[in-house]
Amino acid sequence: MTNTKADIKAVSNTARGNILAKLKAEVNGADYDKLPKEIPYDYPEFSREENLAQFISELEKNHAQVIKTTKDNMAEVISEQLAALNITKLLYGDNDAHREIINALNSKIESQVYDFSIDNNKEMLFNECPAALSSSRCSIAATGSIVLWPDENEPRSLSLVPPVHFVIVDANKLHADFASLITAQQWQDKLPTNVVLISGPSKTADIQQTLAYGAHGPKALIVLLINI
Amino acid sequence: MKHIIEEESKYAASAKAFRANVTRDLGNEELRSNFRGAMDYLMDKRKGAFSSEEELEVLREQCKLIKQRCLAKLPHLLEQLEGNLEKNGIKVHWAETITEANEIIAQLIAQKKGKSVVKGKSMVSEETALNDYLEERNVECLESDMGEYIVQLAKEHPSHIIMPAIHQNKKQVAKLFADNIEGFEYSTDVDTLIQQGREVLRNKFCQADVGISGVNFAVAETGTLCLVENEGNGRMCTTIPDLHIAITGIEKVIEHLADVPPLLSLLTRSATGQAISTYFNMINSPRKPGEKDGPQEVHLVLLDNGRSQAFADEELRQTLQCIRCGACMNHCPVYTRIGGHAYGTVYPGPIGKMISPHMLGLEATTNLPTASTLCGACGEVCPVKIPIPKILLRLRQESVKPKSQQPEVMKGQGAGRNNVEALIWKVWAQVHKSPKFYALSMWGLTRFRFLMPKKLGGWTSVRTAPKPAAATLHERINAKQKKAKQEKQSQHGRG
Ligand code: SF4
Repeated sequence: MTNTKADIKAVSNTARGNILAKLKAEVNGADYDKLPKEIPYDYPEFSREENLAQFISELEKNHAQVIKTTKDNMAEVISEQLAALNITKLLYGDNDAHREIINALNSKIESQVYDFSIDNNKEMLFNECPAALSSSRCSIAATGSIVLWPDENEPRSLSLVPPVHFVIVDANKLHADFASLITAQQWQDKLPTNVVLISGPSKTADIQQTLAYGAHGPKALIVLLINI
Repeated sequence: MKHIIEEESKYAASAKAFRANVTRDLGNEELRSNFRGAMDYLMDKRKGAFSSEEELEVLREQCKLIKQRCLAKLPHLLEQLEGNLEKNGIKVHWAETITEANEIIAQLIAQKKGKSVVKGKSMVSEETALNDYLEERNVECLESDMGEYIVQLAKEHPSHIIMPAIHQNKKQVAKLFADNIEGFEYSTDVDTLIQQGREVLRNKFCQADVGISGVNFAVAETGTLCLVENEGNGRMCTTIPDLHIAITGIEKVIEHLADVPPLLSLLTRSATGQAISTYFNMINSPRKPGEKDGPQEVHLVLLDNGRSQAFADEELRQTLQCIRCGACMNHCPVYTRIGGHAYGTVYPGPIGKMISPHMLGLEATTNLPTASTLCGACGEVCPVKIPIPKILLRLRQESVKPKSQQPEVMKGQGAGRNNVEALIWKVWAQVHKSPKFYALSMWGLTRFRFLMPKKLGGWTSVRTAPKPAAATLHERINAKQKKAKQEKQSQHGRG
């Protein structure tokens, strides 16, 4: 059964035509103004403190480590954490805020900026980068989620491949829930290549419903919470 | 141009063998205890995730209406999705059948000279049996979700749509690893097992040239592919290799980005009781100039495979509201007992019984809609309020309709029709329409009750045969009333 020469463009075009024609025949003349009203659940409003407490408790429930700190103390906290984990190298995103922190790190820690293309550096990224530091765009209290908005300076794999992920979260950028965040920031108008919501270290319960951390992504998520 | 030679789904044969599968799996004590344990765990988790009954009900109603709206606009949303994806640089392909989808993917891989594929969890690619198709063309296709990796090592297919290896316990997994992974020292410690899987798979992520994933929601308004996962393998597959191919069913498109939060919230809570999954990954485009990682090319394959048939009938269209949370199987007394493989289909449990007939035709799946007690648990937990028991009844009807009856709603209509059974019901209906016939037949049934056979096929294999009473209820009541009247009269006479 060699299909190797079938022209997939033509196959796809025919399929497209057939599928859409079948579907359209069914919805022909539908009046979309008459659709029933969708009523969302009216969630109670929470204070900043309540939201913060919820954010932290959800993250901790999901095995993330949350450390309240300040901009000035951050280098020290990271140095301590790395020492405790016996890690001597940190990969970081290429932005000014990070550079300040990196400069203040314990001198024993080697730092590397993610300014290379992944294409010829996969082995290095997978095998020689035990920890990473990234920033975040904002966060969500209800589910304890951190929103990452990767760009050319903070690539997607920065928060994915190294086994330990430090992420800086600004308490002033905490939103109550995902729905209100999307509306407030009008996400539909300007999405980047990739957005990811992170709510803990990578995990799985695929073997006999037993939770295990560090499935494929980071084994540890260390949240550095500032501006509390 | 050569045409694609349609291959029959391998699941048609295994679905046909439903009864034999059930007998096999009911007798497997280890399997049954694995399922019982897992289902109790998942039901508990879901229960704990909804603290307020009111919130749950409002959300279910809202999400049902969201999905119904998106289905009502389906063809337009698909066009809008395609337009926006293409604008973002993601190529869109369409496939009516599983072979078309497989061939499109195989050629996309061949164009890039891809040799090794890592796959994130995608039930649709299970539906098309993509792994087999690629392997025949010398492309290695490795499952990277821990559960699916286990299932692939065991040369099986997932027994649950959310937890693919739920039918195996840790001892079985340990043995599987010991037999298949070089250097693995037998251990039943789950952390050790997962770390072992992690090591093998990270190497593969690093080397693979193609990543394949499913899609949980495809947002028309923005051209966004959303993936829900805990492990990070989905992010790996869609970030590290040079080429990312996503495959999904046409019903996964939703209209607005704002439709995502309520659906996501119900999905993860109904599935595993999580407020949200560890990762919620929204993919909008391939790598842009200046960016350091991400695939250079992203493709989406939109698959029909029987979905448009379900779409064409207003009642059956509700099947497509499904967000694949798995709650219906977790709460199904039949699924819990027979397990996921007995169904013989990709999608087991109540959702599988509803959707598989559209994919495989009613000939192969005649037994599935009848494999339900109609207890209603599935319909009660379904986050998008699909009236599952009602749909199963409808499928039973379609399955016993005369083959020639028009319009033909489903492929394989009438496959379950048995002329003797049809005749019995015809007679039954006639008898019940006429009081005279009814009385006569009841008289016969009670007077000739000794003719009732002791063995009645499957029914008496675990039960005693029913025996009609000596007189009908009507007769007994009449007799009683008559007697009471007589007594009254005789009392009157004395007084
Ligand atoms: S039918 Fe309903 S309960 Fe079952 S998987 Fe689909 S959405 Fe979940």
